Amino acid sequence: MKLRLSDRQVGVLFMLPLILAVGIFLVWPIAEAVRLSFVRYNPLRPDDQPFVGLDNYLFVLEDPLFWESFWQAIVWTGWSTVLQAVIGVGLALLLHQPLKGMNAFRGLLLFPYIVPTVVIALNWRWLFNSEIGIVNHLLLSAGIIDDKIAWLSTPNMAMASAIMLNVWKYTPFVVIVVLARLQTIPTELYDAAKVDGAGVLRRFRDITLPQLAEVLAVVIVFRTIWTFNKFEEIYLLTRGGPGTSTYNLALYAFDQSIANLRMGVGAAAGVIMLLLLLAGSMLYIRVSGFGREDKAA
Amino acid sequence: MRPWVAAILYAVLGAITFVVCFPLLWAISTSLKPKDEIFRWPPTLWPEHVTLDAYRELLFGGSVASAPGAGVPPSAYFLTWFGNSIIVSVGSTIISITVATLAAYSLTRFRFWGQRSVPYIAILGYMVPSVIFVFPMFLTMVSLELTDTLFSLILGYVCITLPFCLWLMWAFFRGVPIEIEEAALVDGATRLQVFRQIVLPVALPGIIAASIFSLIVSWNDYLFGRVFMNSMENLPLTVGVMHFFDGTHVDWALMMASSVLMTLPMAILFGFMQRHLVAGFGAGAVKG
Repeated sequence: MKLRLSDRQVGVLFMLPLILAVGIFLVWPIAEAVRLSFVRYNPLRPDDQPFVGLDNYLFVLEDPLFWESFWQAIVWTGWSTVLQAVIGVGLALLLHQPLKGMNAFRGLLLFPYIVPTVVIALNWRWLFNSEIGIVNHLLLSAGIIDDKIAWLSTPNMAMASAIMLNVWKYTPFVVIVVLARLQTIPTELYDAAKVDGAGVLRRFRDITLPQLAEVLAVVIVFRTIWTFNKFEEIYLLTRGGPGTSTYNLALYAFDQSIANLRMGVGAAAGVIMLLLLLAGSMLYIRVSGFGREDKAA
Repeated sequence: MRPWVAAILYAVLGAITFVVCFPLLWAISTSLKPKDEIFRWPPTLWPEHVTLDAYRELLFGGSVASAPGAGVPPSAYFLTWFGNSIIVSVGSTIISITVATLAAYSLTRFRFWGQRSVPYIAILGYMVPSVIFVFPMFLTMVSLELTDTLFSLILGYVCITLPFCLWLMWAFFRGVPIEIEEAALVDGATRLQVFRQIVLPVALPGIIAASIFSLIVSWNDYLFGRVFMNSMENLPLTVGVMHFFDGTHVDWALMMASSVLMTLPMAILFGFMQRHLVAGFGAGAVKG
């Protein structure tokens, strides 16, 4: 078959699947979520969907659990992001050193990023098991603690465990992005600074940090947005417990939709998350200069 | 670099690597322990008696077909779940990559109305968490009577893989020089010939990188499987293994053995992708 299509036709033809897919997989679900947030929807009675105006939003905003989830999400996001950024930059600097065998270290240190969340959550439950977990054993035998810590069944420790899980899994993301940027800093800058007698710390402060500033800002915005909305990491580790002490908004929305059979309320919580996320994206576009012709991608 | 500096760096790197790898090493160690040794206090770092019982139970615990009925332990479904996960990951990756490759080529080679909004749409899709997609998609699947099918899961995963596939392929095509294509066009080749014979081979590294990312994301997902699927025999691996927790007694050897087996395919892919990894992340095209 010999097809002769004009460039214009090829261009449009190649775009069609994407347009279709964006419609089905992006626009439709979001539109549907917005619609759901204005109706009362019990999945056991799908044919009865009365319009309730802003009731779902009022329900959410008056629900103490929503606000508890909100503040816990901020704690969880704040600690996770700060730790990931600090450890990530440190590791990237280490991995940037010209040493033999560095590729092996890079591979091993980036590995957590691809481990399924289910696997990490299972491992964490086992490592941090309060009765026979290895972490308690190691801490006890090192003399750091006197009694076994109930990692997953006390509110603060459960939050700390969840944050550790998140840091373990996603620090590699920061490492890879920072590493990629480090490799593009011209070495002449360092040579010149050495000639001027600048020590290691000064070179880091005056050359490395300013060069990294932009990419770090972007990474931090990204990590903040993603961490804030994380579901699986917390759900699989603690189910939001003990009690509701590790709930975040994603768990709240999930719980309303599935456990309480209030799809409308869950959707309203989702839309609120979406609005927060849009604000975050604005920040991202600001920070990265995304969309400017020279910087896009 | 002075030798003692190098020695210190190696020591620090070695220590950090050990800490980072410890959870997985511990999983391997646990998976090889007999049941009585697992519950011993203080725990043994390496099994005194190495046993492959847990792996045997998962891999040869009897196929589901040969032992139907209510008495089937969840571990008997392990291989079925494994197969399901492969089908849905590969299926959604094929769809996402095809759509993304075609669109990315079109975006970088042609000019048309609305073109500039596409990256914004991609980044939006890229940031929206699955928990917002999952229920509207689920209700749609219900009305299409597609719930509890692997096909519904494939469609669900396109939601979460397409945006970054598009982004990665788009960044990739921007870096491919256009001159060879123009030369071929001048020589009388059609656009489609150029695409098939010149563009696709050049784009192959980008396609491979995006595919691996997409496979990892779909393989690792839990939420869609949890919401979309019901029957034991249709679950993806991630949702399935959580069933090992049901009941009062937790078999940690079984848990850790399935952790190891679940991570293995991703570890193999990771070995292949390592050199693509930095490039892919550099283009900002990864979901986390």
